[in-house]
Amino acid sequence: MNRVEKPDIMWLDDPAVFGVNMQKAHSDHTIYRNEDEVLKGQSSLVKSLSGQWNFVYSKNAKERPADFYKWSIADIEQKTDKIKVPSHIEFSGYDRFHYINTMYPWEGHIFRRPLDSDKKAHLTGSFANALYNPVGSYITVFDRIENTGGYDQRIRFEGVEQAYYVWLNGEFIGYSEDSFTSHEFDITDYIKESDNILAVEVHKRSTAAFLEDQDFFRFFGIFRDVKLIATPKSHVEDLEIRSTLNEDNISGCLSVDIKLNKSCPGSKIKLKLLSPEGKEVICDEHTVSDEEGFVFGADGEKKGYSLSNIKPWAFKSPVLYNLKIEAYDKDGTLCEVIPYKTGFRRIEIKDKIILYNGERLRICGVNRHEWNPESGRSITVDDMKKDMELFKKNNINAVRTCHYPDRIEWYHMCDEEGIYMMAETNMETHGSWMKLGALDPSWNVPGDDPVWKEAVLDRANSNYEWFKNHTSVLFWSLGNESFVGEDIREMNDFFKSKNDGRLTHYEGLWVRRAEYEDKISDVESTMYAKPEDIDNYFKNGAKKPYILCEYMHCMGNSLGGFNSYMKLFDKYEGFHGGFIWDFIDQAIYVEDEVTGQKVLRYGGDFDDRPADYEFSQNGICFADRTEKPGIQEVRYYYGKYNS
Amino acid sequence: MANTTLKITFADLHLGVRGDDFEYLFAYHQGGPCSIVKNGMEWLYRPIVPALWRATTDNDHGNHFHQRSGTWFSADMFIKVKGAAVCIDGKEIPLPIGPENNRYTGEETAQEVKITHVFETITEPSTTIDISYTVSSDGSIRVDALYHGQKGLPELPVFGVRLIMPTVALGYRYEGLSGETYPDRMDGAENGIFDIEGLPISGYLTPQENGMHMNTEWVEIRRNRSLSNIKDDGHERRLRVEKADKPFAFSALPYTPFELECADHKEALPLPRRTVLTICGAVRGVGGMDSWGADVEEPYRISAEEDIAFSFRIV
Repeated sequence: MNRVEKPDIMWLDDPAVFGVNMQKAHSDHTIYRNEDEVLKGQSSLVKSLSGQWNFVYSKNAKERPADFYKWSIADIEQKTDKIKVPSHIEFSGYDRFHYINTMYPWEGHIFRRPLDSDKKAHLTGSFANALYNPVGSYITVFDRIENTGGYDQRIRFEGVEQAYYVWLNGEFIGYSEDSFTSHEFDITDYIKESDNILAVEVHKRSTAAFLEDQDFFRFFGIFRDVKLIATPKSHVEDLEIRSTLNEDNISGCLSVDIKLNKSCPGSKIKLKLLSPEGKEVICDEHTVSDEEGFVFGADGEKKGYSLSNIKPWAFKSPVLYNLKIEAYDKDGTLCEVIPYKTGFRRIEIKDKIILYNGERLRICGVNRHEWNPESGRSITVDDMKKDMELFKKNNINAVRTCHYPDRIEWYHMCDEEGIYMMAETNMETHGSWMKLGALDPSWNVPGDDPVWKEAVLDRANSNYEWFKNHTSVLFWSLGNESFVGEDIREMNDFFKSKNDGRLTHYEGLWVRRAEYEDKISDVESTMYAKPEDIDNYFKNGAKKPYILCEYMHCMGNSLGGFNSYMKLFDKYEGFHGGFIWDFIDQAIYVEDEVTGQKVLRYGGDFDDRPADYEFSQNGICFADRTEKPGIQEVRYYYGKYNS
Repeated sequence: MANTTLKITFADLHLGVRGDDFEYLFAYHQGGPCSIVKNGMEWLYRPIVPALWRATTDNDHGNHFHQRSGTWFSADMFIKVKGAAVCIDGKEIPLPIGPENNRYTGEETAQEVKITHVFETITEPSTTIDISYTVSSDGSIRVDALYHGQKGLPELPVFGVRLIMPTVALGYRYEGLSGETYPDRMDGAENGIFDIEGLPISGYLTPQENGMHMNTEWVEIRRNRSLSNIKDDGHERRLRVEKADKPFAFSALPYTPFELECADHKEALPLPRRTVLTICGAVRGVGGMDSWGADVEEPYRISAEEDIAFSFRIV
């Protein structure tokens, strides 16, 4: 693919441009130089660039310092403020907090319609030329990681909302959208040993906004970590682990598909699999000729290594095996070590029942937004640990990553703790086809329109590639409340084409059920169906296993009638439970303007209009992670049914 | 204690009933006791009244319960006192207000005094509520509350009686279910005796109904501060409410439902000053299947077209 040398501000307005000069999405494995680093959990090939960055805020693209990426160190000192990376820009007081549910955030202020294929020649500049579409211009200065001269270098952004341009040392590097997905850019040709000037221009809204209409506070900025990564000459760019469990629940198969970033003949890749007790189960190696990849353990018909005496992975016994991959250069020098934990399990549908390791799956789950009342969706590993403690304490066995991919660490935690994941793609277009609860698909996104197709398929691809190796992921969810059409069907087809045994999930096909029921989603999924609706589903010839992707709306003092859903576990084998809406209230700490006390505020409390006020207080926990009183009901019933 | 007699004061506006260590004043014109002095302390700030409103929840708003049943808000807030009746040792006497009471001496005693207060609601149509207090010679009070069902009235959010105490309690102790429970959300609770420090309100982002405890055997409110200007050592006193026939539900909060209803944030609530103890015979569920239309499930709604009766004892 040819490098694009010049950025274009009109990309903000073009749904077909969602990533420029990006590296291909790949597995989320971490590379280490040696075993010692693995043991310490500290890689000297990876460096976080998070910290205090230089920053300029502008109200719109016209007012931004368009040449800021050329500024000298002296210019930077003179012209910028400081901001914390990662954080949402709003938390530094530059732009307003705004909570709105289904309506697009510009409702009432700007008339916008998405571009469709027919009008593509007439970009209107609705985002690029908007009077209000704030820009955050970020700059940081960094040195290359020590002892990585001669290595390829890349920069990874793990979460930037919502569209951003990147320059390094004055050269344009790339552009990306998709706020909740990691993106990488190759900077090998532009990085210096020291005093590299990284400039990132973040735009609050772009056409990506049409795809990111989730029910949450609307933020922007670099809100997750930025990493510098040096990849040695022999580098495993991607790996795909398939660890399957046979019907006997004791034997299985492991295959590991390795992709190298560049042809590196003579490199040797070694693989080891250690049992949970540390016993070596597999030890193998492969010498690379000029191929770009190969599959460990595969040989003709044989798809991988056959294994016996396997301890399966499940909620109550999340047994993980330790996979270790080592890459050596042609001189036999160790270049990198990749540890990855994997569990053996099997998910399948038989007679319209989802079987997990041969037993009916019961999902006692929650929808979880990433949240911290001090920092919004910019959360810490500690926050995640607290969430996981609350999961375990309250017998929660499953999570839906509503409605976007979470921080990478969360997937690893779910592997460790045996939490079944519904990994949702970053997409919601609620405001396009529903107006205050009324169906109006007179325009809708992405629909059947080819102009959106590549963008949504890229979102699906990123979700798959980054998280494919997580044992905990049982479902790929295509997104949330995005109407339905050919584009979403293609997303479904994409996930199915991977043949990874996981199930696809999408709720929104009800609006065109006749056309799409058989084409999208392995499961029948509804939100907020009443118990009697579920009775009717099973009485009228169920076609698929049934899941509630959202149920029990825990707004304020709620959770009454939970038992009526729990009874369905005993009534229908094909009822698989669901995900409570939701885990944590979304509210923000501020200093009370009257008393000076620290208080929690919600939509409309920041002069933000239109707002959906307190509609984001739906957690089984309060925003500060204390439990709501009703959680004892969840703990009781989930404890009864969670295995 | 059990064999002592009650001393009665047939005053012009009040019926006074006292023993060695308690004194109760029933105000005919106010519809209930305006004073319960017991265990060395005044336990009432305002007369006991029927509780016909609880603060609405987000789910109530979603399913428009507040608009269907909003009449109970004003009915509770603006209840009318309709009348009273007095029985001495099981025998009804002409209501002993002036001038009827001129025949008494101040030396009257009895083993049991019962006073029934009748309320009338300002709903359309209106209905009546009877709350009777039966004082035994040991000073215990049995409270019987009866709501008269009336065709055409919308569902009730709650039916109970509300005791507003002069100061904020230190806390309370009760035997019943753990945590905050409602009729449609109590399966996960554990049975036990629970000590609660202070009068916590649940931290819902927007104040609303909270803090209900279903299936309670007894509750003791602990206070050490009165509004009296008389010097006091401030030691802790307790008021105990027990079930009479069946367990009851209660909440003990520093706010009335009206204060909760009108606050948009916790910090918009007034400074806690009172203890609002509500003893309930019927509690509406909270629901939650969704917050934009789903009603509370049928068994957990309270019909206002049928009679509701419940009892408890203050000992």
